[in-house]
Amino acid sequence: MIDNVVESFDYNSLRAREARLGKKLGKKFVQIFLIFLIILCLAGGAYLLITKVSWGFTLFSVAILLVMIMFWTKKELIPVPALKTEKLNDLLSNDVMAGLPKNPTTLDIAHMVQKTNSGVFLAVRYGITPSFLEGIAKDLPENPASIFQTALKIQKGTDSEEIHGAVMAVSLIANHPNNEMILKQMKLDLKDLLDGIVWFNYLNGLVSSIGEKRHSGGIARDLSFGYIPVLQKFGVNISKQCEGEMKTQIQQAAQKEIIEKMTQIFTSGGKQNVALIGPEGSGRATIVTAFAEKLMDADSKLPNDLKFRQIFKLDAAALVSATSERGQIESLVNHILSEAYSAKNIIIWLENAELFFEDGTGSVDITNLLLPILEAGNLRMILTLDKQKFLEISARKSTLANALNKIMVTPANEQETMKVMQDQVPFLEYQHKVSYTIWALKEAYRLSSRYIHNLEMPGQAVTLLDMAGSYAENKLVTAESVQRAVEKTEGVKVQVAESSDEKDKLLNMENLIHERMIDQEAAVKTVSDALRRAAAGVRNQNRPIGTFLFLGPTGVGKTELAKALSQVYFNGEDKIVRVDLNEFVEAKDVSRLIADATSDPQSLTAQVMKQPFSVVLLDEIEKAHPQVLTTLLQMLDEGILRDVNNKEVSFRDTIVVATSNAGAEKIREYVANGVNLISVKDDFMNYLLSRNEFRPEFLNRFDEVCMFKPLSPADCLKILDLNIASTNKTLAAQKISVVLDDDAKKLLVEKGYDPQLGARPMKRIVQKTVENIVAKNVLSGQASAGAEIKITREMVAAELATM
Amino acid sequence: MFMIDLVRWWYAKGWGIFIDDFRKKLGDTADFFSIGQLLRTLFMPYRQISANANQETSGTVMNAFFDRLVSRIVGFFTRLFIIIFGSIAMLLELVIGTVLIILWPAMPALVVVGVVLSVVGVTL
Repeated sequence: MIDNVVESFDYNSLRAREARLGKKLGKKFVQIFLIFLIILCLAGGAYLLITKVSWGFTLFSVAILLVMIMFWTKKELIPVPALKTEKLNDLLSNDVMAGLPKNPTTLDIAHMVQKTNSGVFLAVRYGITPSFLEGIAKDLPENPASIFQTALKIQKGTDSEEIHGAVMAVSLIANHPNNEMILKQMKLDLKDLLDGIVWFNYLNGLVSSIGEKRHSGGIARDLSFGYIPVLQKFGVNISKQCEGEMKTQIQQAAQKEIIEKMTQIFTSGGKQNVALIGPEGSGRATIVTAFAEKLMDADSKLPNDLKFRQIFKLDAAALVSATSERGQIESLVNHILSEAYSAKNIIIWLENAELFFEDGTGSVDITNLLLPILEAGNLRMILTLDKQKFLEISARKSTLANALNKIMVTPANEQETMKVMQDQVPFLEYQHKVSYTIWALKEAYRLSSRYIHNLEMPGQAVTLLDMAGSYAENKLVTAESVQRAVEKTEGVKVQVAESSDEKDKLLNMENLIHERMIDQEAAVKTVSDALRRAAAGVRNQNRPIGTFLFLGPTGVGKTELAKALSQVYFNGEDKIVRVDLNEFVEAKDVSRLIADATSDPQSLTAQVMKQPFSVVLLDEIEKAHPQVLTTLLQMLDEGILRDVNNKEVSFRDTIVVATSNAGAEKIREYVANGVNLISVKDDFMNYLLSRNEFRPEFLNRFDEVCMFKPLSPADCLKILDLNIASTNKTLAAQKISVVLDDDAKKLLVEKGYDPQLGARPMKRIVQKTVENIVAKNVLSGQASAGAEIKITREMVAAELATM
Repeated sequence: MFMIDLVRWWYAKGWGIFIDDFRKKLGDTADFFSIGQLLRTLFMPYRQISANANQETSGTVMNAFFDRLVSRIVGFFTRLFIIIFGSIAMLLELVIGTVLIILWPAMPALVVVGVVLSVVGVTL
């Protein structure tokens, strides 16, 4: 227990004195100078003694003293290891003690932290910068007693061997009365910082272990084992790769258990094979690598029968490409396995073993060859298989499935994935020459779980983190770098509305939509409000951005509003995934809706996987089979849909718009009676339910149900203006414009307006009249660059007469 | 204070660290020569070089037997050579290390002895 008496920093303690001395003597140039002096003293001493001068002994004494000082510096003064007590002065790290003045104040501590390795670590990765810490320190009492006391607690709570700069920094922050609020502004909390200390300790341990020599059997290790020329040609020696490198860290408790289980299987008398079954990215290869390292560790407690066995990875693709016929590959594999058996120290690892059990592109079925070997257990084998593929294979080949010692590898959870990423960060940083912040790691987990579809955790997150290394700014990988990586590699937009342009766009959404859409104010407002709430972060992250059901007659702008949304919200009219549900009228059509991208790239799941930031337009939803609608419930509710392969596809960045003509007559009736549509929304819903148009659980899943009113002739006139504006936009490249006089417009509206079909005929009429007139003028040479074509009622009437 | 701290460390913790480092170095050498492993496999064939007696005729069985015998003899002498060489290397290391461990406490005294010899005026 920590004493109640607050301990303070003892400037004159032995450890503090040693730390300060170590700081001075540990400098490289001082060490070089000392070596130089030793050589000089030895040479000078020898010369003096040869020339019969007794002071040569003194020079030898100085040389011995300098050697002692060098040894002391190297072994004690530079590390100044912490003592195994619970006292402050025994636990402070050497850089902390060397940096603290006599009677330090809180501000002195803040200054000292910046000069420590762990302080720099927190600054780079967590944004705990020197100025931030100074600001914190200024708000705290000058006496640092409480800072030291909290530091002791943090050291104990984080299992740190010593109280280093990062512990002191977190202690400073923890003592600030408003720390929660301050950290929240940085999207952090105290737990994040405590995790940061653990992360630093871990990396520090890795760095310290670099110089440590690992025992791996020595020169006699392989003398008793045979030559394997063909295996060496086609296989990869995983054990050789492990030698001399940092140890593979296993962060998942489940994976540690798997390695233990593998050891048990290979030391027991049963079938000598292990089948690691799990999705790609779940860490199957890491398990095999860690197992290989364990076997090569001379200090591990393994039976001699298993120690120093080397794992060779066999690549199915390489074997298939090296041969042209099944007979040849069987012969080659047979030769390799015989060689491995004769060598007596080989464990064969069949990576993607499913490729050896089925015929196809890049795969060949050699079950007949492998099965007896697996059953006999004379040759140790590890097989890694995709879970889905294994299920398919085992359904066809139950004997094979029974011959395997199956171990399931499950994907990592968030905490484990964060640890794996922290473990991988030093390698990625070395590779990309960058530094990763904690926000980059968090964002990599969040975004990879949504947008990296072909892998599982932790592979998903590590892959994204690796990609983000190429998008670093000022050699720093931040959350934005990760977002950019996803945007560039997956072609999706993930950065939230932060720029003023984006915010303005959201605030003026109604106006922007009405630039291309006439009327339907109520529907536009409902949708705009919902999207503003989503952009402000006031939304459930585990659902789509918005889910809307657009109800109304044909041609009133339902699809147009969906297009306008994709234009305004996702910056492109092409960011729309359209599915006509009138093509999904049978129960069996569900499989087509959620088909795998390779078999049907136009399926809903395949399109959204490719374009997760989009408007999903489900047209004519009332025509879909109830089974199809049931399938869509999960999408509306949880923002996910599972494809035929049970792969999760995220709809959480989509706006789902379902359109339907159901109840169109009722809406017409309301409008004809001058009823405000918003006021009768509930009645209308009940009407739809009473007519069994939709099931209540389906209707309730939508954020908003928007009723579209029929268009009036006046609305059609405005739509005509939009159509003319669109034509003029097209003609702008030729510097030609079109102007219609009012009578011409009236005639077009007269002919183009249809109460049943809304504005739809209007577009056709404009095409057949206005665009025809323009085309004739351009081709006849009557209209050239800079011309304005004036269209009169007569011209329109003449054109209509020819239709 | 500096000298006191140094001497105090030299006779207490420093000596322990030196012995520990020596022990680790000896362990590294033992791992390199892996004498235990060599003894365990002393009579095993060298690199498993031997003919495969797939067809068990008396001729092939005899061939395999002689091949394996030669392989075992080669393996035996190779291993024996490494065992002898490794043992000598380790013994030498052990002797040097032990001398240094014994000399360790004499180092501060040697500093004083050197100064005294100079003051007294001793020459070679």
